Amino acid sequence: MKIEKANVGNLTNFEVFDFLRTRGATSDPMGCIGSVSPSECKVFEYLSGSPACMQTRESVNEFLIKADKFKFITSFEKLNIVNSTPTVMPALYATIKDCDKRIAKEEEQIAKENQLEEDQLQELLELVKEIFPQPAEEQEELSQ
Amino acid sequence: MFYLSQVEQNLKMPPHLLKPSLLDGELEKGIRGELEKRFLDKVITNLGLCISVYDIQSFEGGFIFPGDDGCATYKVRCRLVMFQPFVGEVIVGKIESCDEFGLQVSLGFFSDIRIPERFMVQPCHRGEDGIWVWQFKVDNEEFQYSLDIDEEIRFRVASVKYPPTPVEQSENSKPFSPMEITGYINGDGLGLVSWW
Repeated sequence: MKIEKANVGNLTNFEVFDFLRTRGATSDPMGCIGSVSPSECKVFEYLSGSPACMQTRESVNEFLIKADKFKFITSFEKLNIVNSTPTVMPALYATIKDCDKRIAKEEEQIAKENQLEEDQLQELLELVKEIFPQPAEEQEELSQ
Repeated sequence: MFYLSQVEQNLKMPPHLLKPSLLDGELEKGIRGELEKRFLDKVITNLGLCISVYDIQSFEGGFIFPGDDGCATYKVRCRLVMFQPFVGEVIVGKIESCDEFGLQVSLGFFSDIRIPERFMVQPCHRGEDGIWVWQFKVDNEEFQYSLDIDEEIRFRVASVKYPPTPVEQSENSKPFSPMEITGYINGDGLGLVSWW
């Protein structure tokens, strides 16, 4: 076996979920037999329990375009955010490495460090909540 | 968590698989089946765990070499979906078990994820029933949060290791794991999902 290229491109959880779904995987483990192998079924089961199952190609693209204006996050962190869709501030902190130090350093010239970093993070959090609504919130909207 | 890897493999297609494929004109399906048998659920060192065959880009050859039991050898170029989280990635898993060294977390399809004691939320200690408990102190009030089995836990990947295959193993040692992930939960937003 020869490894031609170790990393052709990263895949978001959504892309893997979509790929397995088009191959014929379903949430029902018995239904998968024949079209996908049991191990692929297990991956599908795991991804069905993650935020990836609620996403669409358009929503992921939309997020990546809009998140571009936040210069302080790297593409790996954007991937982290798309995969885990944090809805509260501590969860967002977890996805961005050393986030306090990074934002404060970049925006040093502009006054009021603390307020600025919170604003940027809050804006990012709102963007995540807007593009990737949680199932509970969707149900609330429907009942209203 | 996942990425694509391009691989070239000299695949031997046994005659009993070739005949139906060639007659139906579905050689690609037969090749795909053999590739899956070869790679699926196997760990490739430094690449990760192979989850699926993404696509077959090309295949050529089909020569039968002497002494090969009639197998036709094809040179196949394909892309595989590999599972290998990058260091710093945040993943949600389930606590499978705990021991004196720390926790073991599982993702369903992959279970060799360890969170050693030094990477756990501090301060914490192990209770009498074996469950790890986080002692959280705020304003002179102490809260105890236990890390129970089957709870969903959010952790950050600290390292991904590929230990070499052992030549000899004693009978009582735990089964060899070709890929080991170490995580830590000592940070904001990490730990049990229900805490935040």
